[in-house]
Amino acid sequence: MYQLNKVDKTFPGVHALKAVDFTIGRGEIVGLVGENGAGKSTLMKVIYGAYQPNGGTVSIDGTTVRFQNPRQAMDHGIGMVFQEQSLIINLTVMENIFLGFEQQFVRWGVIDWKAMAKAARHQLRKVKLDIDPAMVTSQLSFAQRQLVELAKVLALEERIKGDLVILLDEPTSVLAREEVELLFSLVRELTSRASFIFVSHRMDEVLELSDRIYVMKDGAVVDVVTQAEANVDAIQRKMVGRDVDKEYYREQLQKPYDASKTLVRFDRASVAGKFSDISFDLHAGEVLCLVGTEGSGREAILRTIFGLERPTGGTVDVKGASHCATAQEAVARGVGYVPRERKVEGIVDGMNVYENMTLSQMGRFSTRGVLRIAEEKALAQTWIDRLGIKTPDVYKDCGGLSGGNQQKVVLAKWRSGGSDIILLDHPTRGLDIGAKEDVYDMIREMCNEGAGIVLVADTLEEAIGLSHTILVLKDGIFQKRFDGSPGDKPTLYDLVHHMT
Amino acid sequence: MSLEKLKPYFPWLTLGVLLLLVGAVNPSFLNPASLLQLVADIVPLFIMAVGMTFAIYIGGIDLSVQQVANLVTVIATVYLAQFGVFVTVICIAVGFAIGAVSGWVTTRQFVPSFVATLAMGFIALSGARFLSGERALSMNAEARDASFGWMFGNTGGVPHELIIAALLLALAWFLQTRTTFGRALKSVGAGELAAVASGLNVHRIKILAFALSGAFAAIAGLMFSVKLSGGDANLANGFLILAIVAVLVGGTPLTGGVGGVINTLVGTLIVVVIRSAMVYLEIDATMQQMIFGLILILAIATTIDRSKMRIVK
Repeated sequence: MYQLNKVDKTFPGVHALKAVDFTIGRGEIVGLVGENGAGKSTLMKVIYGAYQPNGGTVSIDGTTVRFQNPRQAMDHGIGMVFQEQSLIINLTVMENIFLGFEQQFVRWGVIDWKAMAKAARHQLRKVKLDIDPAMVTSQLSFAQRQLVELAKVLALEERIKGDLVILLDEPTSVLAREEVELLFSLVRELTSRASFIFVSHRMDEVLELSDRIYVMKDGAVVDVVTQAEANVDAIQRKMVGRDVDKEYYREQLQKPYDASKTLVRFDRASVAGKFSDISFDLHAGEVLCLVGTEGSGREAILRTIFGLERPTGGTVDVKGASHCATAQEAVARGVGYVPRERKVEGIVDGMNVYENMTLSQMGRFSTRGVLRIAEEKALAQTWIDRLGIKTPDVYKDCGGLSGGNQQKVVLAKWRSGGSDIILLDHPTRGLDIGAKEDVYDMIREMCNEGAGIVLVADTLEEAIGLSHTILVLKDGIFQKRFDGSPGDKPTLYDLVHHMT
Repeated sequence: MSLEKLKPYFPWLTLGVLLLLVGAVNPSFLNPASLLQLVADIVPLFIMAVGMTFAIYIGGIDLSVQQVANLVTVIATVYLAQFGVFVTVICIAVGFAIGAVSGWVTTRQFVPSFVATLAMGFIALSGARFLSGERALSMNAEARDASFGWMFGNTGGVPHELIIAALLLALAWFLQTRTTFGRALKSVGAGELAAVASGLNVHRIKILAFALSGAFAAIAGLMFSVKLSGGDANLANGFLILAIVAVLVGGTPLTGGVGGVINTLVGTLIVVVIRSAMVYLEIDATMQQMIFGLILILAIATTIDRSKMRIVK
């Protein structure tokens, strides 16, 4: 029995976990769901020892424990199967399984490879994987690697006395449906050896596999439901914490777009390995949202419009001419890109407000390469006032602004430069409610000024609330198109149904 | 005032403290005339360090500068008689081209700049050896004085070398702070990904940064050659570590994005004071390289922005 009692975790400026109670019994499978930023990953890191809680206690079978690092957690039977695959792919399978625990095979100072192979085979049998442990990991499929990860964690069994608790972080994201079935039946069988914490964005899978489900929102556990009483709608409502509010997303400000003016046209366009056969038109005044899971091709489409990827099939037209070959060309033709990683791609940390705002349009503020800095400052001051950017002055280093104000600087950069094709990748990620609403206001304003917006939203509610048009993608392939006129918007379920 | 806010002033403080210390031990060191001469003597090093600043400002490094300077001493000596003062153009073009190739190799072939510039340095060294026939060459004294004699006069007690250095510093400072190129350099150094996402031609900016570094190294080599009235493939040896130390102790960290050419001025002065102090303190010449090696490590360890470098190999 593994238990968290009123566990708190704070980072500077963020209360990431608020008095979280969590228990998992022997042989139990517990699901963990929540929106991005709800605190799932922080909670997992506390469980496997990567973070130390600031308050509350962690106990195993009634004994209080405190882990300084993941290794100590492993010594207590807690193992993590990482989403992004923690295997080192140029090592063999057996080296990976026993990475950091090779001492047991050392004879006279050298590793007894035969003994290691034998022990590795034993671990691989637990996950029903019939491969040579001396194979190099890079030769395995993703599904096989996932199982090797699991075998690696199960190898703890022989080393420790108590029960195992195994965290599975989005284990199905790279697997095909049949592989998911296999993994699930394996996990169910393994409950005789271990209990599992299953974290996934795929709600149906969580419902299918878990005995109980913890629902998180804003760093707190808001509900615990058993499999019998769980249903997708109820859980999603709990995750969001409110019924979707029309005003929140400024639906009353949503106006029809200008169908006569096409800004971007994808005609059966493909980028090898990213997406294929995608067609859509982006019009002036339209918010077009790309919906899908991680790796569904959303980001690649944005990057293609911005000239960072080249279409390998079909055609991409920008304002009636061929696709942009480089980012410089895209910017020159009026494309603005608001990347997901605001702090490293959005703003330049180390440059001040006016330097950031004119970075994409220095040509307009210079004469033969010499900057007209006074004009830059005047522009920055205009936009600081217009968008209510909270900064002491134009000289403030953007790295020191809050996330919402950083995002306003990034948006001001493109709007002041007259960009009319705006690519927004998770524009509200990590922002608080007020800052999110400011971003929504700006999206509506830009549409009214005739810009077309391609949005990859942070949440599905946001996608529905903001969009004129929604395209659902899965594994780089178009699934379904929804019209998002106010009063006729698709539901969450409509989207999720086509995403997974 | 917090330590973080004081950080930009550390190089100035260091310089002041060093001057006071050396002055206390040997008051004659602070005599203005001798100080001026001391500074004039290291103008070639300073110019090389100013160029190097561009490479380090974008988060790279240029290890070829010493060899570029060596090559240029040979070129200047060999072609002085033929081209007169216009040999300057050839020298700068050669340095610019070598730097541009380093930049191209770094950005297009993904060879880290320390390897790319090290390799280009060896290529330049070979060129210098070939051209000089592995001999130490001397300039024709008349041709030298006719073309470059003006370099060593005084105007109102200020050595002309210092005026050249000041002009080049002003040019570099103008480029860094007042032009779109300088702004682009800063964005590449402080946040390359954001520069890419803003549609900047990051490759071209980097190539230009290395090319400028090469051009400044060539000017340094030319001045040194004229000063010593000759050229050979080893003439500028020993400059490289001093130039790197000057940039780093001046406050432009290896991670780039902050600091700049004014910092390099301070850094160079710190290097000069330390070097003369070692002479006063009669530290053996064989020990001096070791001390600068240690200072280099110390300077990098204290100035580097660790949040930008998670893994160092």
